[in-house]
Amino acid sequence: MQLDVISTSAIYITSFVLLLVGYVTALSSKDLVRLLISFELMFGAVFMSIIPLFSSISNTAFGITIVGIFTSSSELLVLIIAIILFDRKNKNIYTRSISIGGDKL
Amino acid sequence: MGMDVLLLSALAGVAILFSLGVLVSKDNFYSSLYMSVTLIFVAAVYALFNLQPVFVLIVFIFVGAIGIVTVALAATYRTPPERQFSSWWIPAIITALVLGFSSYLLMKRQALLHPQLATRPIQFEFANFLATPEYILLVLFLVSLSILMMLSALKIVGGAK
Repeated sequence: MQLDVISTSAIYITSFVLLLVGYVTALSSKDLVRLLISFELMFGAVFMSIIPLFSSISNTAFGITIVGIFTSSSELLVLIIAIILFDRKNKNIYTRSISIGGDKL
Repeated sequence: MGMDVLLLSALAGVAILFSLGVLVSKDNFYSSLYMSVTLIFVAAVYALFNLQPVFVLIVFIFVGAIGIVTVALAATYRTPPERQFSSWWIPAIITALVLGFSSYLLMKRQALLHPQLATRPIQFEFANFLATPEYILLVLFLVSLSILMMLSALKIVGGAK
């Protein structure tokens, strides 16, 4: 399949909507598991947006995909550790229990 | 509009529908399942463009390992289902619309300036990627970094008891 203007637009629009849904899910998440799910959805949007790169710099695009997969794996590892430690300390995984970091509006 | 574009639109549309399922679902377990299905459809778009190595990477590693760990985590920490949808979606959508329109204008300008880039074939050979030593070094570096991170994670969890 060739990459024309219509297919490129479809890919970018899908990527944009997936990223938007990921952001809204992260903003409205009440627990850390939902936050993790939203991050993975955002990574899915990133993978979608890489497709057009394969038409011009295919090897580099594949390298970027591999870096993205390793980054998401590391993010999952760190967040799982954070969830375990958070649960041990607070006996729940609700984001409202987070008292350190971020701005209070 | 060709059959390929219709198939691409269908795959993209189903991926968007499942991603909306993540947002709307009250239960984290079902949200993680919807997320995994969304990523499988993203991988299917790669398969449509004949990029099988990326399809395998996404389906077997991203969904097969990371997605299933998330499903297991959501099943383990299963809380009573509650609506997780705040009013923050309004500023998020306004910002997204502004950014989307700016990107559209930029793409339109680029398409006018470089019309020769409008239609391009995707030619990717996995053998060419493996033949480049720099990329092999990159993969080795990332694998060793992941092992270091896993060891650090084990130490943190073990030491926090």
